[in-house]
Amino acid sequence: MNSLYFLPDMPGVSIAVWIVASMLFLFLAKEPVHKMIQAFSDATAGGLRKAAEWMKHAAHAMREKDRKVLLESGVARIQGEIQQEFSKIDMANTKALAGYPKLQFKLADRISQLESDYDDCGQITPEAPGWSEVIESIGRAQSPSNDRIIEKMLSEMHKSAVEGEKKALSEFRDATSKRHKILSSMSPLWKRVDKVAKEINGKVDKVMENSKNIEKYMKRYEKISSAEPESIDMLSSKVTKLFIISAIVIAVGLVGAFINFNLIALPMSELVPAGVRVAGMQVSEVSALVIVSLELVMGIFLFEAIGVTNTFPQISNMTSGKRKIILYGCLLGLLFLSTVEASLAVLREDLAEAKTALDISLSGGTAAFAENINSHITLIGQALLGFVLPWILAVIAIPLEMFIEASQHAFARIYTILITLLCYLATAIAYLIEGLFKILMHLFDIYIIIPVQIANLFTGKMGNKSVSAT
Amino acid sequence: MKRENEMHTTIKHGLLALVLATAVASCSDSKQYETSYCSLVDISGTYAAEKPNVVNTVKAGIVPQMIPGDSLFFVMIDSNSYSEDNLVTKLTLDYRPTKANSQKLEVARKLDAFGKGKARSNLTDISGALMLCADYLKATKSGTKVMIVFSDMNEELPKGVVRKFTEDEFDGIDIVAMNIIKLNKDSINPEVYRKRLDQWHQRTTKSGARSWNTLIDATKIPEYLQQVKS
Repeated sequence: MNSLYFLPDMPGVSIAVWIVASMLFLFLAKEPVHKMIQAFSDATAGGLRKAAEWMKHAAHAMREKDRKVLLESGVARIQGEIQQEFSKIDMANTKALAGYPKLQFKLADRISQLESDYDDCGQITPEAPGWSEVIESIGRAQSPSNDRIIEKMLSEMHKSAVEGEKKALSEFRDATSKRHKILSSMSPLWKRVDKVAKEINGKVDKVMENSKNIEKYMKRYEKISSAEPESIDMLSSKVTKLFIISAIVIAVGLVGAFINFNLIALPMSELVPAGVRVAGMQVSEVSALVIVSLELVMGIFLFEAIGVTNTFPQISNMTSGKRKIILYGCLLGLLFLSTVEASLAVLREDLAEAKTALDISLSGGTAAFAENINSHITLIGQALLGFVLPWILAVIAIPLEMFIEASQHAFARIYTILITLLCYLATAIAYLIEGLFKILMHLFDIYIIIPVQIANLFTGKMGNKSVSAT
Repeated sequence: MKRENEMHTTIKHGLLALVLATAVASCSDSKQYETSYCSLVDISGTYAAEKPNVVNTVKAGIVPQMIPGDSLFFVMIDSNSYSEDNLVTKLTLDYRPTKANSQKLEVARKLDAFGKGKARSNLTDISGALMLCADYLKATKSGTKVMIVFSDMNEELPKGVVRKFTEDEFDGIDIVAMNIIKLNKDSINPEVYRKRLDQWHQRTTKSGARSWNTLIDATKIPEYLQQVKS
């Protein structure tokens, strides 16, 4: 430090000389220093601003891409729903209309029966002979000649006419009674016709109702296709909800997988005894992990074959026969694995008991305690757990598909939020840096204020002189 | 043409198998996870009476902590301990738990027999026993090597017996002295006892021992072993 003093005996003077010298130097270098500070400010704050701009663009691009994906998937989903509804309606209509010709035939049959009955009723019945007057006149008629033969003839005629009238009346009554009978038998027929008509009416109503459903779906389709912000928000909220729910279900499933793994890891060491380790795990543990993973894979293929999930288009495009083969294969595989797990769980219990007994024996006790704790309930419980857990694990295939579908949107949102936050952060830092450089520039100006003011005095005098000269 | 195609397919399959085998091999872990234990039991002087206690401590404190793949050596400290005759029993646990259990029972029986035996010695060659144990432990190539010394740590070598540790004698070995019975001179002046233990500490650590500890409470063995393994 002392070497920097011009006059070692007078450090104050030396420092003052240094300050004045530096002031003069910096005053002379004012412009380049300003430029340098500005360049630093531009390089750092400007760079950050550019980065923030890029992040803003990236967030926007990602938001737009996500919007498109959401819209596409939403439209595809609603199309699928409409298609499903159409197939439902098709099935319902086929079912409803399949009985329609039968009903129509029934109705036609009833109507023709009614017609024939009506015709029967409408047949000209033997009219009541209008003979009474004739008979009366015949009865009153007397032979003018009092001819006995004519009289007899007339009486015979009267008699036969009366008999004929009686017969005709009887026939008329018979015919009328028959018509009444027919008419009375027509009443249930009318009821049946009414019932058939109501059935037809019900089926037509059902078809109309189905059509209303289609209308409802079509309205939704139109709303989504219009890509309005509300519909995008609705789709986004739906997908986010799906993501959260599926993530929770998967987390629960993973806990189940962990329990399952622990249940079979120890007995697996009895089946796969090896000292080699893979990534810090014993071979038996790796084998247990493989079994648990296989159960999950079986579940995925099982639900794919049933048609619940649609992860592998190759499987969903297969014929139903081939899908059935996969389905039965997976069912058998799961049954086999769950049986293996149940037996491993039993073995695990045996090993645990043996270890307890051994530890007691090594510590100088007797195995009596071990015998006391021997319980069939634990054994049955573990075996059941070993059998059931693979089936429960297999069901994870459903939320897994949902999770994969929804994760794209969720990750895009997380990415967008993060990048937007970074963008704001970069902008804020850029402001801060700019402010700091401005302060630095002001400090610099303050430091050289004395030479600047002196220079201003001179330039002012010079200016005044030049003004007075002019 | 057909044969050529078949050959190509075979080569492809071979390459695929090679890639898979390499992937599996690269995944397999080279780290040694096994632990080897060597228990040294002093049978000289007054400590000989402690044999049954030591056997019980080993049986209840060390053997249950052993997992498949672990090894145990049981060495007695007598007048000249650097000899194979001093190895009472040794054991490497099988990877099958049932087999390992029966091995543990077998070794427990051998230890019981030793505890009931009348083997005694006049002098105490602790260094020779430590060297013998170090040889056995190094031969196992286990990841963790532990020596548990049951002695008063008062060495008395016969004339002519030389015990000098090399610099890497106890390389990677954790040594713990347990159940150290205090001698009369220790009771008179605890400094003697402390100095003796400190000397052992210096000697072992200078010869590469990873750690030197003393344990009074036998129930702390599992805790100590966990600490050493981690």
